[in-house]
Amino acid sequence: MINTANGMMSTAPSGNAQSPGLKTYFKTPEGRYKLHYEKTHPSGLLHYTHGKTVTQVTIAHLKDKPSPSTPTAPSSSFSASSGVRSAAARLLGGGNGSRALSFVGGNGGSKSVSGNNRVGSLGASSSSNSTSTSNFDGKGTFLIFNVGDAIFISDLNSQDKDPIKSIHFSNSNPLCHAFDQDAKDGHDLIIGLNSGDVYSVSLRQQLQDVGKKLVGAQHYNKDGSVNSSRCTSIAWVPGGDGAFVVAHADGNLYVYEKSKDGAGDSSFPVIKDQTQFSVAHARYSKSNPIARWHICQGSINSIAFSTDGAYLATVGRDGYLRVFDYSKEQLVCGGKSYYGALLCCAWSIDGKYVLTGGEDDLVQVWSMEDRKVVAWGEGHNSWVSGVAFDSYWSSPNSDGTEETVMYRFGSVGQDTQLLLWDLEMDEIVVPLRRPPGGSPTYSTGSQSAHWESAFPVGTLQPAPSMRDVPKISPLVQHRVHTEPLSGLIFTQDSVLTVCREGHIKIWMRPGVADNQPNSAETILSTSLKEKPLLSSKVGSLSYKQ
Amino acid sequence: MGAAGSKLEKALGDQFPEGERYFGLENFGNTCYCNSVLQALYFCVPFREQLLEYYANNKNIADAEENLLTCLADLFSQISSQKKKTGVIAPKRFVQRLKKQNELFRSYMHQDAHEFLNFLLNELVDILEKEAQAAKSDPETSSPPEKLANGPKTVQANGTHKEPLVTWVHKNFQGILTNETRCLRCETVTARDETFFDLSLDIEQNSSITSCLKNFSSTETLNAEDKFFCDKCRSLQEAQKRMKIKKPPHILVIHLKRFKYIEQLGRYKKLSYRVVFPLELKLSNTVEDVDCEYSLFAVVVHVGSGPNHGHYVSLVKSHNHWLFFDDENVEMIDESAVQTFFGSAQEYSSNTDHGYILFYESLGASNKS
Repeated sequence: MINTANGMMSTAPSGNAQSPGLKTYFKTPEGRYKLHYEKTHPSGLLHYTHGKTVTQVTIAHLKDKPSPSTPTAPSSSFSASSGVRSAAARLLGGGNGSRALSFVGGNGGSKSVSGNNRVGSLGASSSSNSTSTSNFDGKGTFLIFNVGDAIFISDLNSQDKDPIKSIHFSNSNPLCHAFDQDAKDGHDLIIGLNSGDVYSVSLRQQLQDVGKKLVGAQHYNKDGSVNSSRCTSIAWVPGGDGAFVVAHADGNLYVYEKSKDGAGDSSFPVIKDQTQFSVAHARYSKSNPIARWHICQGSINSIAFSTDGAYLATVGRDGYLRVFDYSKEQLVCGGKSYYGALLCCAWSIDGKYVLTGGEDDLVQVWSMEDRKVVAWGEGHNSWVSGVAFDSYWSSPNSDGTEETVMYRFGSVGQDTQLLLWDLEMDEIVVPLRRPPGGSPTYSTGSQSAHWESAFPVGTLQPAPSMRDVPKISPLVQHRVHTEPLSGLIFTQDSVLTVCREGHIKIWMRPGVADNQPNSAETILSTSLKEKPLLSSKVGSLSYKQ
Repeated sequence: MGAAGSKLEKALGDQFPEGERYFGLENFGNTCYCNSVLQALYFCVPFREQLLEYYANNKNIADAEENLLTCLADLFSQISSQKKKTGVIAPKRFVQRLKKQNELFRSYMHQDAHEFLNFLLNELVDILEKEAQAAKSDPETSSPPEKLANGPKTVQANGTHKEPLVTWVHKNFQGILTNETRCLRCETVTARDETFFDLSLDIEQNSSITSCLKNFSSTETLNAEDKFFCDKCRSLQEAQKRMKIKKPPHILVIHLKRFKYIEQLGRYKKLSYRVVFPLELKLSNTVEDVDCEYSLFAVVVHVGSGPNHGHYVSLVKSHNHWLFFDDENVEMIDESAVQTFFGSAQEYSSNTDHGYILFYESLGASNKS
């Protein structure tokens, strides 16, 4: 509660509750990462649901209200705001900066029927806005996380441990969520439930409402009418104009468009061969979902779009990573884990590598260029539940001329550890360029000549043999929580870790915490200057316990 | 009981596997340690098939003495030949025989399922070996068949080329570990082989079976009080020791050491640690460096907070369905429910159902027994 200049100090009162023997910093070659603060949910409330769901975290940057009526809000340090706004407008292209958000002006009447449905509740919520949520100035960076039957929202830049908002779902548990900061109308947050139901809402509208229920929601796959298996992972299609995809525990993935009616009754033909990838489009073009992708047998555990939205990666119970050309709806490449299910996946910002983690305790680096696993990270003592590239990190000696780009990435596991890794392709001892053992399609002979033909586009590779894949070791190994971890996010200034039970820790990068102990605006502005933040998302562990 | 049976049949519907029987086992007062292991063994299909084959070949010998093997064979055959698909059976003869055989299991106290499994497998092997010996009988009583029980044995076959008797129990469960010791002075590696029916693994909080197996095979340095007598140096030397799997078993049984003697307490304590086990596993700590893939088909679960009381249940995979056996009750469960038996990340937790013995079956063709 006492905001001392040293970021570490403020964590002492909040951190003592659950973590004896856990260090509040870890060292890297570039300096110390310090525990800045923690976020959690009201304890005691959720004992009965404890362990039944796995918490995921989504980070959401709500931009300054673009409507001209906002200047009522400025806080003391708001001098940077105009810079932020212009930076945002520049980076995010036209159309966004001047566009009125739906709840402000009833959306200009341009919406379909479903848009009008929302107006009633919107009116109510905006009136409450002026009174009860006067401290909500319409922008900021928020953490959205699910625990039990609730979604909690915390202000990333406040020292407050408790969330500023909770939304309860009476019928089912929310399991996955995603935020689109480039959303063209109000609906920027999507939530997938245990029952298979999917909601899209406006985050801002939730923050302005005082209730504990979702407001102004669009409801899809109502009562699991299209698919009643658990939602495991959800994602906006980057640049997809309001399209999003939802992965389910039965191996199917559905494509939705938020502009279309949610109550439509899309039906899809029976899947003929459960083992084969197939795509079916809804017959009725106005209904949602618009398409079903049958991807695999067993659960899809996590999905991730490449930054440009061209590729979609999925990982699942069957242990396969699959990479699809999203617009062509075709399998590009993929391969099997060493053994066991894969639980999480993430792209490098340049789209060249995909990280996966799973039940073989390995962090796998998949090269899109080579269409194979190029490294296995050994270091976790249990399943790997979250992986992410650190897109803000740049190699200390990178001058841009060398071809050997170094990547920094992180992983978290059920061993309660956060591991950081450096990946420099030249340093890895790559075994002979031959496909991993036992591939039936490979014939011995001239190796490079056969390489391309050995794994033509659209084929899945078998599990590599232990001796065929180069191993890398972690740079840092740090025990973060007492509970198994479920995800991590890199931001401009920090690394966020979250455990399955819904405790989040924010680790400030070296040099950041000391200089800017309380810098909500700074964080936002610098991150926007750097690059447009996509909604990042973690915690792709699909199943609940 | 009948209603529960029909419920399972209803749940499976037309997916009920042809010829398969799902029967609960009656509890005769703390015999759940026995029931849970028996179910796991029954759904160990190669073991069941060979036991039934043995039964078919031997049931005509009417005067055959009753022993644990015949009682087990009798029980399995009784289950598999039931007209109904589901129901409850009382393993009365088997339990009586067990209690007669070993006073350890005679009381109504809570027993250890792993001890029972170990006792049973060794007993079966003993019986089969005696029978084989009797069959060979007089012709060439050159040497008694080498005892292949759990004890260590040297593999440096000393010229005579004695063929150890390999029973079908061995073929299913036996693996060979090699204990490599490298003398740090002369660098000589001494390898000593030992056979096993199961691997007992030390466990750690928030770890995986993979990690426990890695620790099991990790290099240990013998020094100070614990030096190694090197035959070449003819003296005690510092040495490095590690265990590798020389021959992976067809059925890999992993026992998690959840009951640990705590010296300060002067008694055993149950470790409720969360130890995750994947549905597919590979052994990478093998001598030949080949990846041997396994699939999980049964889990014996200990329910309870202490070592001296509690309950045992088992999870069994049969024809791609997971079933939950709790004495007389049999239910279908979702595959994802298996993970609720991993253990707890917190010491005091309401969840006390913990995976205790894991049964994996080899998928590879590499198994040439």
